[in-house]
Amino acid sequence: MLIFAIVSFIDSHMKFKRFGLILLLAMTALNVRAATDENAWQVLQKAAVAAHALSYEGIFVCQSGQQSKPVQIRHLFNGQFEFSRNVVLDGSPKEVLSQGADVVIYNPKNEKIVIEKRRGQNMFPAILPTDLDAIKASYVLRMGDTERVADRQAQILFLDGKDKLRYSYKFWVDIEYGLLLKSVMYNHQNEMIESIAFNQLGLINNANLDWFKPKIDSKKNYVMEDEVNAVADNHVSPHWKLKELPLGYFKVDQMIRTVRGKSLPVSHLIFSDGLASISLFIEPMENGVKPRLGRAVVGNTSFHSAVVGYLQITALGEVPEAAVAQIANSVVFIK
Amino acid sequence: MNEQISALADNEIALEDAEHLMSGLQSSGPLAEAWSQYHLIGDVMRGTQVLSPSFKQNLMAKLDLEPTVLAPNASLLKVVKTKASSVEAHGKIPATWSIAASFAGIMVVGWMVLQMQVSDSLTPVIAEVATPQTAATNVAAVQAIPAEYLMAHQASAPSASSYYIQSASYSE
Repeated sequence: MLIFAIVSFIDSHMKFKRFGLILLLAMTALNVRAATDENAWQVLQKAAVAAHALSYEGIFVCQSGQQSKPVQIRHLFNGQFEFSRNVVLDGSPKEVLSQGADVVIYNPKNEKIVIEKRRGQNMFPAILPTDLDAIKASYVLRMGDTERVADRQAQILFLDGKDKLRYSYKFWVDIEYGLLLKSVMYNHQNEMIESIAFNQLGLINNANLDWFKPKIDSKKNYVMEDEVNAVADNHVSPHWKLKELPLGYFKVDQMIRTVRGKSLPVSHLIFSDGLASISLFIEPMENGVKPRLGRAVVGNTSFHSAVVGYLQITALGEVPEAAVAQIANSVVFIK
Repeated sequence: MNEQISALADNEIALEDAEHLMSGLQSSGPLAEAWSQYHLIGDVMRGTQVLSPSFKQNLMAKLDLEPTVLAPNASLLKVVKTKASSVEAHGKIPATWSIAASFAGIMVVGWMVLQMQVSDSLTPVIAEVATPQTAATNVAAVQAIPAEYLMAHQASAPSASSYYIQSASYSE
């Protein structure tokens, strides 16, 4: 309406007619750009929901650093609950079973099978949150071409960080099913640092759950993993506080946990920008233990440790080094 | 045999039909082990709370840490006992007894408060903390990601690939 009003206004003044046309073209181009961006977000939104709401089976290959593992997945949504079973096909037959947000991992280690319990999140292809607002605040999304992945036609999307505090992603989304077929993470040198991609995928429409159990090896011992001591922590510490966090990152969890080899409990805080997570560990330095200072980037994981007052600070996550360094440096020691 | 034991653990075999299994479980070590493992797997699948493998050791260690409180309980018992016997004998309690009981009560509470203060001062966290001088002079420089922190991170904030791949090589 606004465009028409402006154009008709300019039209009525004949000598501005040419100017009016140019203005109209420019505004249409802007509008088309905004429309494709909006379209791209809709495709991504659909992918976020489809991973939970569809029932499918297939094989995807997970690649990180020098390692690569094929994984067989079967995911069922029966209208009420979600079930999935993921089996690593090469090497030791690790199995990851999830029911809603509860994940149980059957992890073969030597002659034992260790049963680990986890809180489920980011399990491929459900790596996106269904609420994309946080991602919209920190990333820009644009449409790419279409390409064939796992014998399916896919729309390519580019998700780039608005700053240097996050990695870039390239997504391939199934045009028919809306499901995420492939996700690749790139560092700032545009090198691929992680890739997960279906190479076989089909929908299932059978609600039976016979398959939802681990394959049991009667020759192995099944044991629960050593108690993971982590309890939620809502207290404000008298010893430290956080100043400015890196842009776009917010705290999602705080707990007190034991860390192997540490005699005192450690505060563990988790931050996220909607897609990537950073862990921050804060602990009093122990007498006789050397304080640790350092940084490292291995594959997709960055690490930064620092000392503030009497506190040992450790930050790490699947983000660029600048982000973990800023998180580590946000800790202020209270005397 | 293992399949039958699995079925028995899942309540899919009637108890009357399972006598041979029961005797098997009692006589054979491997079968008894299979029985407890099927239950563990079942408990995990159903989300039943499972005690950690070191539960017993932890409990015993915590019991060992508990202070051995002998005197106050003994005096408390004595007071209660004498109160009870005097009630039985005379039908009513003399006033001096209730004064004595109150005094004993105050002593017990006071003693407990004292105990708590003592045990508090026994765990001075700040005393174990290093001084800034040692921090400045004696520093470990690290170039690899310490495994214990990486494991804690992946347990509480797993990334998509960390379920299947140990995402970074790390120092043990």
